[in-house]
Amino acid sequence: MSGTVVIAAREFRSFFLLPSGYVVGALFLLANGIVFLSGVFLPGQPATLRGVFSFDVIVLLFLCPAITMRAICEERRQGTWELLAASPSGAGAFIFGKFIASMGYLVVLLVPTLVLVGMLELYGRPDPGELAAGYLGLLLVGGVYLASGILASTVTASQTIAYLLTVFFWILIGLGRSALPGWLGPEAWSMLAPWDPFQRMQDFTIGLVDTSSLIYFPSLILFFLLTSIVLVETERRA
Amino acid sequence: MDHVQSHGNQETRSSDGESTGSKGIRVEGLVKRFGPVVAVESVSFAIQPGEIVGLLGHNGAGKTTTMRMICGVLPPTAGSITVAGYDIVTHRRQAAASIGYLPESSPLYPEMRVREYLVFRARLYGVSDPRSAIERSMERCGLETASSRLIGQLSRGFRQRVGLAAAILHDPAVLILDEATSGLDPLQVIEVRKLIEELSSDRTILISTHVLSEVEAICDRVVLFARGRVVAEGDLDSLRSRSKSGANASLEDVFVELTAKAFLESGS
Repeated sequence: MSGTVVIAAREFRSFFLLPSGYVVGALFLLANGIVFLSGVFLPGQPATLRGVFSFDVIVLLFLCPAITMRAICEERRQGTWELLAASPSGAGAFIFGKFIASMGYLVVLLVPTLVLVGMLELYGRPDPGELAAGYLGLLLVGGVYLASGILASTVTASQTIAYLLTVFFWILIGLGRSALPGWLGPEAWSMLAPWDPFQRMQDFTIGLVDTSSLIYFPSLILFFLLTSIVLVETERRA
Repeated sequence: MDHVQSHGNQETRSSDGESTGSKGIRVEGLVKRFGPVVAVESVSFAIQPGEIVGLLGHNGAGKTTTMRMICGVLPPTAGSITVAGYDIVTHRRQAAASIGYLPESSPLYPEMRVREYLVFRARLYGVSDPRSAIERSMERCGLETASSRLIGQLSRGFRQRVGLAAAILHDPAVLILDEATSGLDPLQVIEVRKLIEELSSDRTILISTHVLSEVEAICDRVVLFARGRVVAEGDLDSLRSRSKSGANASLEDVFVELTAKAFLESGS
């Protein structure tokens, strides 16, 4: 457990020691601001962040893999992986540590967007429940992206490949959900629909918190992380 | 002194497993295959507490692979490894806690500062009094003036010292140093060797090198690798006596002669 915290703390600090951490953060805020001012914060529009949230679901798909692509690859390239592997900590500490750190960074990315909430409060009456659901959804969705990014980072030695693997995986899922209903017919699709992550994400953005989603997303996260742990551990034990 | 003593009872020492159980290293029948490639083949040796032993051999002879297996980074295909009395496979955590490892070229996080990195390593190993352990390590490795410098801006010599300081933070019984002096300038080489000798007073040290003068300068004993096998083992005098040119042979002659013999015997 303590190994997890130590690794998470180092990794989290690292985000702020490297320029990429600030660049990602600045771009995210800029994009959010533009969407907010051009599509949401207009006279006569409802006081919600729905537009921002559903936009963020897409933006995070591209940003999260950039956060995690370094996770394991960079340690391997630098050779510091060797030092971690020789330490008394187990693979679980590396993977969970990396995940906690990148979740922490995601929170840091989201906190400044509360300014947008403040602006809505100033000029209208946004529904706090809906906003909370939206943020919860972004954290869960972001967590899934991050966990899948960490898995990609463990299977390849190249950061670029890790990034592309993650992004293309989710793009494929996205394409699948728009094509499959037509191919399979509504009946067969109704069997698959509950597994559609993007539909579940959309529910959050309109303030709908389905309890099954609260199990679905953490399970996905755990699946990606545990697979990573197994891969790392077999490499060490074989 | 120890050097002279170890010469006489060389054979009993390396075959006597029991005495190695406490704080040394014992490797038995170690094999590592990568697919069809045999990197290490039935390697056995024992290192007594307090000894400095050099793994000597050509590049690609299996030294680094052997060290990585001893550190628990790479799983052996067959064979057993005991470090400080703990089996590296069944008691990984305890074994890892008693090893200080400096991989080749001293990998570090360039974006961190020296002290910050040492704090991280101390926590990773659960050092009970990190502050004084870090002070002690930095003093021993001559890093006091560099404590707030960015690792990415350090010279090779300093990077090596940071790696060493991190490796001894948790006061391990066993130190494993892979090519600790490669790429350093002559002055830095002398400094690092001096440091290794100082550190050896209270621990077991395994170093790998292909620099023969290094072995002569600091090692009590040598394990000579060729093609993944141990072709000779013993202190420098006993190795010389195996050479045709006798006790006056340079270590270089012995090295060339013994490795050439191994290449011939392996049939290619």
